[in-house]
Amino acid sequence: MALKYIEEYRDGSLARGLVKKIHAVSKKDLRLMEVCGTHTTSIFRHGIRSVLPKGITLLSGPGCPVCVTAQKDMDAFVEFARINNVIVTTFGDLMKVPGSSSTLTKEKACGADVRIVYSIFDAINIARENKDKEVVFCGVGFETTIPTIAAGILMGIQGGIDNFSIYSANKLTPPALAALMETDGIQIDGFILPGHVSVITGTNAYRDTFEKYDIPSVIAGFEPIDILQAILILIQQNEMGKPALENAYPRAVSDAGNVKAKQIMNQIFEVCNASWRGIGEVPLSGMGLKKEYQKFDAAIKFGMDMPDVPEPKGCACGQILMGLKSPYECALYKKKCTPMNPVGPCMVSSEGSCAAFYRYS
Amino acid sequence: MTEEIILLDHGSGGKVSHSMFSDIILPLFENPELSKQDDGATLDVEGTKLAFSTDSYVVDPIFFPGGNIGDLAVNGTINDIAMCGAMPKFISVGLIIEEGLPIKDFKLILETMANAAKKAGVKIVTGDTKVVPGGKADKIFINTSGIGVIPPDVNVSGSNAEPGDKIIISGTIADHGITILSSREGLKFDSDIKTDSAPLNKMVQSIIQSGCDIHVLRDPTRGGLGTTLNEIALQSNVGIKIDEQSLPVRGPVQGICELLGFDPLYIANEGKLIAFVPQKDAQKTLEVIQQNEFGKDAVIIGEVTKTDPGSVFLQTSIGGLRIIDMLTGEQLPRIC
Repeated sequence: MALKYIEEYRDGSLARGLVKKIHAVSKKDLRLMEVCGTHTTSIFRHGIRSVLPKGITLLSGPGCPVCVTAQKDMDAFVEFARINNVIVTTFGDLMKVPGSSSTLTKEKACGADVRIVYSIFDAINIARENKDKEVVFCGVGFETTIPTIAAGILMGIQGGIDNFSIYSANKLTPPALAALMETDGIQIDGFILPGHVSVITGTNAYRDTFEKYDIPSVIAGFEPIDILQAILILIQQNEMGKPALENAYPRAVSDAGNVKAKQIMNQIFEVCNASWRGIGEVPLSGMGLKKEYQKFDAAIKFGMDMPDVPEPKGCACGQILMGLKSPYECALYKKKCTPMNPVGPCMVSSEGSCAAFYRYS
Repeated sequence: MTEEIILLDHGSGGKVSHSMFSDIILPLFENPELSKQDDGATLDVEGTKLAFSTDSYVVDPIFFPGGNIGDLAVNGTINDIAMCGAMPKFISVGLIIEEGLPIKDFKLILETMANAAKKAGVKIVTGDTKVVPGGKADKIFINTSGIGVIPPDVNVSGSNAEPGDKIIISGTIADHGITILSSREGLKFDSDIKTDSAPLNKMVQSIIQSGCDIHVLRDPTRGGLGTTLNEIALQSNVGIKIDEQSLPVRGPVQGICELLGFDPLYIANEGKLIAFVPQKDAQKTLEVIQQNEFGKDAVIIGEVTKTDPGSVFLQTSIGGLRIIDMLTGEQLPRIC
């Protein structure tokens, strides 16, 4: 059975045609950043780096939600797991991310009730079935995930579920791109903008950042043809000296985005400052619960306020997800830090650039 | 918390399982038979070559589309013995049962085991039962061990792969793992996929009888095809290159993998084998496998190379090249 919208975007002859064009137009050395972790994984999985001209460097950006989670937020997740009578619900990727003293995996092995869920709705159901316990959901995600968390909270309100709360470490993409562009030493010649996030935000969400920094920017889907196409456009814009904001994923992304999802998100959440691993505090780059929904805020419910702690010594995750270093330039990579024994989050998440480098190169 | 503890990852069949074996288990029990690290031990008992293997089953849920823990346990051990080039003869069964398991479920599991043994032509000749209090196990855990006889002129091992060998897989990959995953609470998919659990001993027997020169046979179970190929590349100290476009994956299985971000190369199979054969015998072996009821979708997926010993490469559908490493990190616990 052919998979519609997958196989045609993995077509070998189409791909070879694009690769040929890329080689034909590419003259300058360029550093292009794929912002999203799903792009990073797809690039490795399909061997895209191996078919590009030598002068084209792909950098992995701050678009893996687990990777950009601040150390103090990871510590909070571990602390929740240690509270008696609390069930921690989380996406699987967070399980092995090291907090300062432990991981959710280790807490679970020692008896904590930590459950992997595939959506917030699973967490709501767990709360419904365990009325005598408190269920905490680790909210880690971008614009793709936040509307579903908001919908989950609405569902909790409708169902009268009050033994449920979330710890919001949710983040927004465009402010992170702006913060990145303001960082000293940044050398980026173009952004491959995230596909899924843009389905929600729409192309317009990037317009301010684009206009301010005048940097070639292309929204791309996740199949190899999508990514090769975006790389070709970015190279063409650079070679012609004509930066533009383009949408190369029109089958899913519109200018305005998913208006309904944004409405639900903005009904429950409001923009706040957020701490990003490596980047630090970025103004107005997070999404916190609005005042009227604070009874669902696990940080308030449990008085959880973990101190800011330095990231593990020697770990270059912060610089890696800003494109300042490659995993190979981290002293811990493949030595002290492996997927079996990760030091930083980029080695844990399936979308982390260190994990992708480790697995595929 | 500095004390090291066993994590689910130690049971993944991937890198962590391997380091547990080589760092803790092998040094304590070291002997030439164990050190070969094949699916079963090959033993010389007064001139007769025997294959001996054991496996425990903790799959959750115990009933799933296409089978249950019972036939999985019987087929699994049959296959481990068959992969030594042996004809499985006798099987033992150890049952650890949780108090509260409905007798009708228990009977159904045993009936399925009896049928699976009959179908494969092996006898269940000894066993043991233990019952533990509720909560101390999960419904039922099964251990099976088995013995088989290796014909005198057969020499099959993960360490026998040679440059130039073609690699055949007997059918679609990832069916079992995705079936279990999609039968779990919270992740129900409306699809017609089912486990590929099947006895492969007759397929192996026909390959051997065909006179083809078989270097390696292996069933890519936990850890999937990707991990198994890595094991063989290391055991034989050769490189392996496979072609993504030739990998057989059913549409619904591929779809669920895409949706959940799984790579079919690391998902468990329970009724597939891979065979490494010299090029001259590749076509004939393929045809023999295709004639077996469980081998209709068999294809050649790649070959053994002289370069990059110990590594496995995938030629992607767009013409790129990437490394396939062993599974790192627990992908799906309690899959078998």
